[in-house]
Amino acid sequence: MADNDKTVEEKMAALRDNYARQMTSKIDEISSHVLLIAPHGKGTNDAIAAVRALTHKLAGSGATFGFKEVSIVAREMEDACSKVIEGNDDASGLADFLDKSLDALKEASDHPDVRKENSDEKKQDSKGSGTIDDRVIRNILVLEGDKKTRSQIVRELKHFGFVASGTSHPKNIAKAIKKQKPDALVCDIVFDGDDNAALGIISELHQSGGLDCPIIVHTEIDDMPHRLAAVRAGAHNYMVKPVDMADMIDVLDAVTADGEDDPFRVLIIDDDESLSRHTELVLQGAGMMTSVLNNPMTVIEVLNDFVPELILLDLYMPDCEGHEVAAIIRQQEAFDAIPIVFLSGERDVEKQLSAMELGGDDFLTKPIRPKHLISAVRIRASRFRELRSMMVKDSMTGLYNHTTTKQLMTNEIERAKRLNQSIAMASLDIDHFKNVNDTYGHAVGDKVIKSLARLLRQRLRGADIIGRMGGEEFAALLTGATIEEAEEIFNQIRQAFSEIVFNSDIKDFSVTFSCGIAEFPTHDSVSSLSDASDKALYTAKNGGRNKVVLA
Amino acid sequence: MELSKILYVEDDPDIQSIAVMALETIGGLTLEVCSSGEDAIAKGDEFKPELILLDVMMPEMDGPTTLGRLREISSLSDVPAVFMTAKVTPEDVQSYKDMGVVDVIPKPFDPMTLADQVKEIWNKSHG
Repeated sequence: MADNDKTVEEKMAALRDNYARQMTSKIDEISSHVLLIAPHGKGTNDAIAAVRALTHKLAGSGATFGFKEVSIVAREMEDACSKVIEGNDDASGLADFLDKSLDALKEASDHPDVRKENSDEKKQDSKGSGTIDDRVIRNILVLEGDKKTRSQIVRELKHFGFVASGTSHPKNIAKAIKKQKPDALVCDIVFDGDDNAALGIISELHQSGGLDCPIIVHTEIDDMPHRLAAVRAGAHNYMVKPVDMADMIDVLDAVTADGEDDPFRVLIIDDDESLSRHTELVLQGAGMMTSVLNNPMTVIEVLNDFVPELILLDLYMPDCEGHEVAAIIRQQEAFDAIPIVFLSGERDVEKQLSAMELGGDDFLTKPIRPKHLISAVRIRASRFRELRSMMVKDSMTGLYNHTTTKQLMTNEIERAKRLNQSIAMASLDIDHFKNVNDTYGHAVGDKVIKSLARLLRQRLRGADIIGRMGGEEFAALLTGATIEEAEEIFNQIRQAFSEIVFNSDIKDFSVTFSCGIAEFPTHDSVSSLSDASDKALYTAKNGGRNKVVLA
Repeated sequence: MELSKILYVEDDPDIQSIAVMALETIGGLTLEVCSSGEDAIAKGDEFKPELILLDVMMPEMDGPTTLGRLREISSLSDVPAVFMTAKVTPEDVQSYKDMGVVDVIPKPFDPMTLADQVKEIWNKSHG
């Protein structure tokens, strides 16, 4: 996608997301200063001044990025500090006030104004679904005359993280659409014996603009005239009953995808702060995520923390030259294939080539036009992402493969050690999976595996690591979660999975899984953590399966 | 004549990025972005801005001091200047105007209308 294709709103949203992501660390920073303010407030002028400066910044930026409440709370904190600093207020009670305000600030930072309009609705719908809140909620409307089928579809869509509701007759459809504003409509076409009832109404709605979401026809009739009528009514898909839920979810995922991939992650290494800042702005403006490193000596830590997909490297730096940095990066096994692009004023082609021999992939000459920079970065980063995806992902489920999962676990544990965080690791195994394959065939078995993979992806946060470790075994690493929190989440997933109905030629059936969870730092290496969660998994298996057991 | 070139001085990278979006992408203006007063003094003369937009509270050199130093550069002595600030009382506005600032834009600003706001201020100062 060219930079110009991104609308201002999309760019703005990217900046807003970036700001939102940094909010926690900003609040933590304020919090660290507030901690230094003694209850009576005396002798801690530096800390009060620091809180004033930081809240001043936050007050001035929050609402610009869509966090109005953050601006308001930060302004109150700033004012309180000012009064004390200027001697207009007595300092006792300041620490207490700031402490309470910090809670309000955290609360406000979770609720940007832009999402406010339907946040109440979302809260209700996602109740009991663990960590789903930070994912995009997709709203599906199901038009289906048969009560049993309708409630089954609605229930299963909910298992997969969709918000779903049903309606029984096309005459109610306009009202339901108005109320629910669905992201997709799944509809049967025969009502009261009339096979034109639904499509007529839908076609009208579609043409009048009253229905602008994808339509998926879901019917028993499979013939050309009806398929044609569906296409003419504006339907995107035509699925013939009985439809496997896994297939329907695939279709719904595809039609409701917003087409937006994760932003490319670019590391900029340049000793010139303002130049690197400019490069960063250009790339951020194109929706990419960036990290700037002005001192190349810390490159290894930054690589592991930020996990870039492309590195822009200045060729000439005082402490350590660009080609040396490139060589060091290449020594890291995990980054030996990452694209490195030199950015420099060097115009001598000989020197450019010799730098590339030492590990660079390309050479861009400064000053570079923003458009050129963006496309150069985007092309290389996307090629790298594709290649890497083939190397690190399991092709059936799209989850991380065994090797990558282990590698990521090592990184996460290292990071958790540094940040003093907890990690919960879960090992999952589908119960009696061999029976599923033997009874219903491998194609059906594959669907079961894909369904669990999708459910895990839907229910866990984007930052959690989910891997397919082998046949029907999965592992998940929940960073920052305690073992108790993980237990609750996996019990919800276990419940949801057991309620999914799979169709086969023989009969409909359901499947369960068992799960063992262990916690870092109780177990402080990849091997002890996975041994402990595996052991807990065996206990779950021996204890009757369809269970979550803690190590 | 329409406003096209702005010397923009702001230390906070978040605000910088969204203001660049607001002024360049939405407003179609050309910016020279400076992260500090020093930076602005180094770049200002060569850039030849038609308007100077400064954050008030910056570490090391604040907005008013920066503006004072920029005014010493002959090519910038008459360029209209606008402050942006998160804290503004009517007295503040008056004291800034006494410094020769044509207007003050309160923070937080609305990124969708910032460019219009700046253009309007500039047009007024030329009207």
